[in-house]
Amino acid sequence: MTEDKKQLLEEIRKAVIEFDEDRVKELANKWIELGYDANEAIFEGLAAGMEVVGDLFAKNEYFVPEVLMCADALYAGLDILRPHIKAEDKTETKGVVVIGTVEGDVHDIGKNLVKLMFEVAGFEVHDLGKDVPLEKFVEEQLKTDADLVCLSAMMTTTMPGMKKVIEMLRERNPNVKIMIGGAPVSEKTVEMYGADATGKDAASALEEAIKMVASLREMKRKKEI
Amino acid sequence: MKYKVIFQPSGRRGEIEEGKTLREAAIELGVGIEQVCGGNKVCGKCKVQIQEGYFAKFDVHSSMNNLSPIGKEELRLLNEEEVKNNYRLACAARVQGDVLVFVPEESRVGGQIVRKAAGEINIELDPAVRKYYVELPPPTLEDPEGDYERLMRALKEQHGLEGLSMDYHALRALPLALREGKWKVTVTVWNDREIIGVEPGYNDRTLGIAFDVGTTTVVGYLTDINTGKVIAIDSMMNPQVSFGEDVMARITYAMEHEDGLQKMHEAIIGGINKIISNLCNKAQVGVEEISEIVLVGNTAMHHIYLNIYPEYLGVSPFTPAVHRSLDIKARDLNIKAAPGANVHVLPIEAGFVGADNMGVVVALEPEKKDDIWLIIDIGTNGEIVLGNKDKLLSTSCATGPAFEGAQITHGMRAAPGAIERVRIDPETKEPRYKVIGKEEWSDEVKSEARGICGSGIIEVVAEMFKAGIIKNSGVFNTKLDTPRIRKGENGQPEYVLAWADETAIGKDITVTQSDVRAVQLAKGALYTGCKILMKRYGIDAVDKVILAGAFGSYIDKEASMVIGMFPDCDLDKVVAVGNAAGDGARIALLNRRKREEANAVARRIKYIELTVDPDFQTEFMQAMYFPHMKDKFPHIQHILDKIPK
Repeated sequence: MTEDKKQLLEEIRKAVIEFDEDRVKELANKWIELGYDANEAIFEGLAAGMEVVGDLFAKNEYFVPEVLMCADALYAGLDILRPHIKAEDKTETKGVVVIGTVEGDVHDIGKNLVKLMFEVAGFEVHDLGKDVPLEKFVEEQLKTDADLVCLSAMMTTTMPGMKKVIEMLRERNPNVKIMIGGAPVSEKTVEMYGADATGKDAASALEEAIKMVASLREMKRKKEI
Repeated sequence: MKYKVIFQPSGRRGEIEEGKTLREAAIELGVGIEQVCGGNKVCGKCKVQIQEGYFAKFDVHSSMNNLSPIGKEELRLLNEEEVKNNYRLACAARVQGDVLVFVPEESRVGGQIVRKAAGEINIELDPAVRKYYVELPPPTLEDPEGDYERLMRALKEQHGLEGLSMDYHALRALPLALREGKWKVTVTVWNDREIIGVEPGYNDRTLGIAFDVGTTTVVGYLTDINTGKVIAIDSMMNPQVSFGEDVMARITYAMEHEDGLQKMHEAIIGGINKIISNLCNKAQVGVEEISEIVLVGNTAMHHIYLNIYPEYLGVSPFTPAVHRSLDIKARDLNIKAAPGANVHVLPIEAGFVGADNMGVVVALEPEKKDDIWLIIDIGTNGEIVLGNKDKLLSTSCATGPAFEGAQITHGMRAAPGAIERVRIDPETKEPRYKVIGKEEWSDEVKSEARGICGSGIIEVVAEMFKAGIIKNSGVFNTKLDTPRIRKGENGQPEYVLAWADETAIGKDITVTQSDVRAVQLAKGALYTGCKILMKRYGIDAVDKVILAGAFGSYIDKEASMVIGMFPDCDLDKVVAVGNAAGDGARIALLNRRKREEANAVARRIKYIELTVDPDFQTEFMQAMYFPHMKDKFPHIQHILDKIPK
C-alpha cells in the first residue's frame, strides 16, 4: 500500500472518530477520484474508525450523542463509497441479519446503532423498524433465510414479546441464531428466553454476532459434507 | 459467594456476601433500618418484608428460600399474619441467594421528607356533596306515607330538591335516623342527584379527602368541604414501591404475575385506608363522616387503584381503559368512608400523562391564558403540557429514576443525611454542601452525609459543569490536578464530593462518569419533550416555565437551567408551584363545575408521542449536552461564559 493511500485511510478513520461528517465526505470523494478500491475504504477506514468509537463508548468516554454523530459521519461516507463497490465484493457478505424493535415498543436508537455496526461489518441487514408485529420476524427470517435475528426492547412491558418470537422462530427453524438487546435485557434474560446472546453495547453485539454466524456456517458446511 | 440484595423503597442495591444478615447488608448499602436492640433479635423493630418472584427491572429471582430458615426468636417477635406475609427480622435473616427486601414505613430510620404541604387555593365553593337539614311531619294513620317518600316531599318543600334517588345503604339507615332525630335529619346529597347519607338531627359539617396518588408518595388532605380548609394532612410511601420503582416496572409486575394486579391494588387501597384512618385520628372525626373522596394519579396509578388491567398502557400505542372522569362508590373499591360516599377520579389525557397532570391543569388553568406556558411535572416520568387558550399539547417522557436518586452510585431519596445543596469552587474544585436535617453547610459542621438526593444530583452536576470538571459532552476533564478527581473501581473517572471521614457511611461519596451519563439521559429526555412540543406548537420560546410537583419546588432553578433540563427562559419566569396535582384534587373536591371543565379540557389537550417524531433521535442526542449541543441560553449566558476552558 502506498504511503498516500495509508495516510488517507488513517484520515478517514480519524474523521469518523471525530464525527466530522464534512471531512469524511471530502476524504471519501478524494478516495474515489484517486481510483482506489471503495471496499477498502469502507472496511479499513470507516469501519475501523467505528471500532474505535465502540471502544470509547464502552469506556464511557463517548456517550450516545457522540456515537450517533460518528454514525452520521460514517453513513455520509458509505453513501459516497457504496456505488463504487466492485461487483465481486458485493456478493461476499458475512451473513444475513433480520433486526427490529418488538411490537408495542417504539424505541429504536439502540437498535439503529447495532444495525449500523452490522452494516459496516459487511452483513446484509433487513431492518423491520420499530413496533414490529411478532410474526413478522418469523416471516422475514424465512423469506431472507437470515442467519441471525436481532430483537430489541427498551421497556420491561414489551420485553416478554421477545420470548414469544424466540419460541416461534425455534419452532420453524431451530438453527437460526437469535440475539436480544435493550436496556432491560441481561445475560439472565438470554437464558430465560432461550436466546443465543446479548451484547452490552453495539460493538460487543457485533462481536457476538460474528462468532455466532461463523459457528452457524460451520454447522451448515458439515451438514453439506 | 455473593448475592444481589435490593432494598425498597430506597432502591439501594448491591452484592452481599453469603451468610451476612439483612441488617449487615442494610448497613453496607446505607439503608436505615430501626434497630433498638442493636441486632440482638430482642426488639423486633427491624421487620422487613421479602418480595417473591422475578423482578425484570433488577433481574433477580427473589424468594424466601434465598434466606436462612426462620428462627424461633423471629417466630416469637412476628405474629402469624406477618409470617404468612413473608416478614422477617433483618437482624436474623441471612442471605443465601438474591432477595428483594421491602422496608416498611415503621421500620425505617428517619422517614422520607414529604414536601407536599397544602398551599392556599382560591376556589369558589360549589362542592358535589352538600348537606341539607330537613324537618319532617311525623307519620300518622291518616298520613302513613313511607319514610323515603316523606323525606322527598320535605326536601322539595324546604329546599326545592326534586327527583333524588337514594343510595341503598343510606336507605337502610333512614328509618332509624328519622326516629332517632325525632323527624329532624340532615341528609347528604351528591350532585343534586342522590341522597348518599342520612343522620339524625342537625350537622352541617361536611368532610372529604383529596388524594394525590404518586408513583412514590401518596398524600391525603382531609378537607372541610364547607370552608375549603385543610384540616389534616397525612402521607406515606406508596406501598406498591416494593413491586417496582416506576410505572413500567409495576405494569410489568401485573403482566408477569397472575395475582400481580390484585396484590398491587390491595396494597394501594390498604395505603389509602391507612391514610384515611390516620387523618380521622388526627382530626378526631369518624371515618363515617367522610362523604366524598377525590383521587388523582398518573395513568398507571389510576388503573391499578381502580383494579383495571394496565398492560395496554405500557405498550404502544399506550391506550388507557377510559379517559373521562369516574364516580365510583367507595365501598366498591373497599375504601373506608361513609357507606354511601363516592370516589371521584379525575379524567385521563393519554398514555402516561394522567390524572396527575390533569390536576395541574385544573389548578393552573393554562387553557384560559394568553401567555404560552410550559408546565413540567418532574418525576420518574416527566409530564409536560404546553400551550395557552388557543391550543394545548401534552407529552410524557421517560426520565427514569435518576432525579429520585436511584441509578446513581450514591443516590438516595430525600431523607435526613441526603446531600441536597452543592457549591464547587471553580478555582480549587473544592466542594461545600448541605445535607437534609442540618442547617449548617459541610464547611461548618461534620456533614454525616449518607448519599445524594435528586435535587442534590442536579446541583452537583451543574456545579461540576460550571467548574469545568465535566465538559459540555458530559465527559470528565481528567487533566485537572486535584485529588477530588480520580479513577474509580471500574477505571472510570469520578469526583469525590465527600471524603469517608465526613460521612455517616464510612465511604467516600462520589459522582461517577456513569452518574453523569444517567443525568444526561434523564434531562435529555425532558428537554426533548419540551422541544418537540414547542416545535409542534410552532414557537421557539415560551413565556413562562412552571415546575409542578413536589420535586420541582425543591430543585434550584438556575442549576436546572445550567444543565439544560428545559429550554431557556427568563429565570424570573420560571416558577415552582409545588404539588399542583394535590391542589387539583382539592379543587375537584370543592367545585363540581371544575370537574366538568376537567373533562372538557382533557378532551382538548392533544397528546404527542415523542418517539415517533422524525426529529426525535436528533433532538434527544443534542439535548444530552450541557446545557444543549446547539440551542442558545441567553438568560444564563453570563454563567456559561465563566466556565473555565
